[in-house]
Amino acid sequence: MRHVKTETPAVDTSSVHTARRLHPRPVRIMHWVNAVVMLIMITSGWGIYDDDVIIRGFHFSSFWRLGDWAAWSLNWHFAGMWFLVINGLIYLVYGFASGRFREKLLPIRPSEVVQTVIDTLHFKIAHEDITVYNAVQKLLYIIVILAGISQVITGLAIWKPVQFSGLVTLLGGFQTARVLHFAGMAVIVGFLIVHVALALLVPKTLWAMVSGGPRLKLRGRAEEGHAA
Amino acid sequence: MKSPFRPDFPPDAAVLDDHKPLIRSLDRRVLIRGGVSLGALAMLTGCDIKRPEAVEAALLAISRFNDGVQALLFDPNKLAPTYPASMILRPPKFNAYYDVMDVKPVDGATWRLDVSGLVADKRAWTLSDLQALPQTSIVIKHICVEGWSYIGGWTGVPLRLFLERVGADLRAKYVAFKTADDYPSSIDMASALHPQTLLALKYGGDTLADPFGYPMRLRTAVKLGYKNPKWVTAIEVTNKYPGGYWESLGFPWFAGI
Amino acid sequence: MRALPLLFVCGMVTVAAAHAQSATPGGMPPPPGMSLAESAAMRFPQPVRVGDLIGREVLRPVESQDVLGRVRRVVHDRNGQIMVVIDFGGFLGFGSRPIAVPVDAMVLLGQDMEIVAFTPKQLQQFPTFSPSGTTHVPDNKIIKVGLAKPSH
Repeated sequence: MRHVKTETPAVDTSSVHTARRLHPRPVRIMHWVNAVVMLIMITSGWGIYDDDVIIRGFHFSSFWRLGDWAAWSLNWHFAGMWFLVINGLIYLVYGFASGRFREKLLPIRPSEVVQTVIDTLHFKIAHEDITVYNAVQKLLYIIVILAGISQVITGLAIWKPVQFSGLVTLLGGFQTARVLHFAGMAVIVGFLIVHVALALLVPKTLWAMVSGGPRLKLRGRAEEGHAA
Repeated sequence: MKSPFRPDFPPDAAVLDDHKPLIRSLDRRVLIRGGVSLGALAMLTGCDIKRPEAVEAALLAISRFNDGVQALLFDPNKLAPTYPASMILRPPKFNAYYDVMDVKPVDGATWRLDVSGLVADKRAWTLSDLQALPQTSIVIKHICVEGWSYIGGWTGVPLRLFLERVGADLRAKYVAFKTADDYPSSIDMASALHPQTLLALKYGGDTLADPFGYPMRLRTAVKLGYKNPKWVTAIEVTNKYPGGYWESLGFPWFAGI
Repeated sequence: MRALPLLFVCGMVTVAAAHAQSATPGGMPPPPGMSLAESAAMRFPQPVRVGDLIGREVLRPVESQDVLGRVRRVVHDRNGQIMVVIDFGGFLGFGSRPIAVPVDAMVLLGQDMEIVAFTPKQLQQFPTFSPSGTTHVPDNKIIKVGLAKPSH
């Protein structure tokens, strides 16, 4: 909820704050639930993958697998899926209903994406104002959200290829749906590697997802805190 | 939501608490080569420190819940996709809980199909008895829980027709199977009555070969491969949860596709 | 008291012996001393059309399903033995060379094949295939090839 002060100082707009933090508590809870559940889904999925590898010559060693053999990887996977979907649905509804997605993830301008990538490669990742996402962040968050949704869709297809045979046909067949499910996992894992690395490189972002982070400035006002 | 299927748990792992260190030290591969039964392996897996019993119990409880969800998702009128006969894989892919050298062929002349449980006619069937019943052919995709699949063609007696012939109680919950290779299996009645569930006698138009379940196997298009027992020797209609070979080792029971 | 665990395990093994079903992994090599022909005969060889073998991937019988090569063709050698000529080795089709593997050293695995009697190291020692002295087996010929369960 936004508490906007009715009196605004005539000159210094930067001291006007909302009470709202960067990451409200619901967001923080859903984020960490998702982090645990996604790790469960990914590592149990690796265990299931090993039962009939998709990339011949490539398998995951037991160190990386959740579930010491196929039956238990499956059980973890089919348990985690409920938490993933329920938490994910609540997050999507919240994100749209609260305006958070629109506010934080849009708009994305291609020129900004290019500039941010260049800055990152030059290690200009200072990120003074973490309340504003840079263009690459926005893009990656949108991608991972879409990948998560894709995993649920492809997962449903390979879980119930007869009951959802229409969906399977749309995806190009059962084996193709398997490959897409694996590819979606690869996208999410790729995101995770970047996401975790950057959070560790800019620790205040990690802390923000625990404690809530700085309070947001009023929309449309702040020009400082140029995010690199 | 209480699941209507309440499976028996694997042997109580607490029995082995005193022997955990010894059992954990036994190399699993040595046991496999030495031919220790999977029942013993179940006890061993039940002792794994990476999977404490509370976690295991929770996972199995969710698995039973999922069985209920799958039963709700099952549309008895939904047919599995079918394919042209030219796409049938010849020969099909072999799988069992042992390698093919240990297949024990069944003598079709002396083979009998025992029928028991909630049925009116408990006479045993010979192979020619079964062959005399109306047959149906289906060309469908076999999907293994492991992830591989192939297109196969089976001919046999629709299980529904067979159950009606023996006066089975079609409101019973389970149809259970016994086999010549000690591979008990069972399916829900709704799946048993599905039009693409057969007591299969032929593959690709030819008599089932020994490795693929001769003289008769279950073939249902709406279940994963491991729910399709080979070398079937007995059918029972029952309301008591029968479980199955892989289910005793932790795999889900409903396993519908 | 310490004998109890031992007795227990012995009991389990005895129970297992009564069941007499070995839970072997798939694609084990022939036991030492057994000929390829004998070991193939134990694997319930099934009829397969030679033409359906061409182009199949040939895998190692391991969980990671390493690709050893692809079936190029099937020939009789000068002794009349059926040999499967495989484009062996290389990477993604580059740098492979043809070798001839006795069909009794191989199994059918669904839509693929496996070599169960030779390790990749041993296969690397096989001479490069030369067609002289061999007869091509036509696509329509039916041959018998043993089976194996998938490897884990």
